[in-house]
Amino acid sequence: MKWELRPARDHGLTPAARLRSSGREPGLGSLAIATTWRGAVRTYLRIAHRLRVDGLEHLPPAPFVMVANHASHLDALTLAAALPRPLAHKAFALAAGDTFFTNTPVAAFAAYAINALPVWRRHTTTGDLDALRARLTEDGAVLILFPEGTRSRTGAMARFRAGVGALVAGTPVPVVPCYLAGAHAAWPAGQYLPRPGPLHLVIGPPLDFSGTDRSRAGLIAVSDACEQAVRGLDPAAQEGAA
Amino acid sequence: MMGEAYGQAVTTGIVIAAGGVLLLAAAVIGLLSVTGRASPALRRELWLRLASWAVLLPLMLGPVLLGRVWVIGAVTLLGLLCLREYDRATGLFREPLMAAGVALGIVMVNFAALDHWYNFFMALFPLTVAVLAVLSIPLDRPGGYIQRTGLAVFAFFLFGAGLAHLGFMANDRYYRPLVLLLLTAVAINDVFAFTAGKLLGGPKMLPATSPNKTVSGALGALCGTTVLVACIAWPIFRGTPMDHWHLLVGLGVIVSVAGQAGDLMLSSIKRDLGIKDMGTVIPGHGGLLDRFNSLLLVSPAVFHYVGYYVGFGLDQPSRVITG
Repeated sequence: MKWELRPARDHGLTPAARLRSSGREPGLGSLAIATTWRGAVRTYLRIAHRLRVDGLEHLPPAPFVMVANHASHLDALTLAAALPRPLAHKAFALAAGDTFFTNTPVAAFAAYAINALPVWRRHTTTGDLDALRARLTEDGAVLILFPEGTRSRTGAMARFRAGVGALVAGTPVPVVPCYLAGAHAAWPAGQYLPRPGPLHLVIGPPLDFSGTDRSRAGLIAVSDACEQAVRGLDPAAQEGAA
Repeated sequence: MMGEAYGQAVTTGIVIAAGGVLLLAAAVIGLLSVTGRASPALRRELWLRLASWAVLLPLMLGPVLLGRVWVIGAVTLLGLLCLREYDRATGLFREPLMAAGVALGIVMVNFAALDHWYNFFMALFPLTVAVLAVLSIPLDRPGGYIQRTGLAVFAFFLFGAGLAHLGFMANDRYYRPLVLLLLTAVAINDVFAFTAGKLLGGPKMLPATSPNKTVSGALGALCGTTVLVACIAWPIFRGTPMDHWHLLVGLGVIVSVAGQAGDLMLSSIKRDLGIKDMGTVIPGHGGLLDRFNSLLLVSPAVFHYVGYYVGFGLDQPSRVITG
């Protein structure tokens, strides 16, 4: 008789190595911490930022990749907190390894609070990408990704990098474009703490790249399409168009 | 009720002997290092194991010396940590509801031990299994039902119902020497098996399950541990219904056989999963389960053997919390 017995992807790693592993899978303890933290963040966002979320009906079943503009440390917290509960427990935010994963206490916070997985900017290997793709296709995860690569210093959106294409091109995993307005004003880079101010998250319809090939041109086509979709969700741009 | 007269002496003796063995091991490894008899890699491995023991031993013996509440608290924590290792290794953690059900069962059965409520303690095994059997049905996801329920029931048996017997023993006024004897005897049982196997060699016992274990090692451990346990248990049970040599030998046989069975059980689990160690918590040993596997089956087996002839805490108040 054959059962499907699959040890955790991070089995056999020391606690410090586990924090930094892209195969980190949350167990009962992590789940309890994440649930408590998520409740606190949702309460905070509701009270201090009067968070408004539009387009939740666009969310497909897991797995999928969420991409958004990046202007603040509030972005990942907001996107993760906005997801309804069964999806929230499958969501991982991709965070810069050099900022969040070099110091163990910070890595522990990133891992347990926002369920962050490290991406090593400019050092991402094919193996790293394969591991993340496996999390999507095999584990049914939701990855939250900011393809600008870093927080905008002005609030204006930068060009998207090609990384997102490497995760989804040629796979049935959809990409959900999102735009978060107000995060730059509430917590710009360089400021120590956030200040209250309205946040508005708009979730767009999912994009499908199953027919796109994994060539250089294909990857750029994916990131361009994502960028365009995200820009189109900007409430200010929509008002301007209307 | 166990004997009082010689119990204190046995307790002191075991603690001193355990500390002595640790110092002796340090001296031997130090000698190997100074004379350069062992390779640097082996020396590092030996120091690592010794350092782990130097931390583990106080954590194991300390609660026993401190008192009943400490023993039951330590057993609860050990059970929960073992569950964590097991659920990550088997994949049960992907069913958080089932893992939470087992964790709650472990806490409950240890609470029953703390309360000294024997009937509830015994009832919790079938009751928890019944709860685990129905727990995931409302998810309306029958695929994988047998696997998740089976893994959860097995986990509760091992780290809850089974292990909690060790804590329940602490309800006896004179539990200390027996619990210390079990904690040290299962470790020595491993040492006897290893040494006898190396010295005598011979045919492998179950090569597909555990390639390093030999028949001679198993028999060597059986003889060595039986004699040792019977000798140390003799003063503990002086003047009790277990004060007969054949009953003391029976206790030794149970400790050795159940200890080795626990070891082979964990080897089977690891082989089935295709992993080498259950975790990384104890440097040089692996996971907690790699160290405490023997106790899982020894605890209930010894509890009911001693319980049949002598009993635990029969003169102590019961239901001390729930009244």
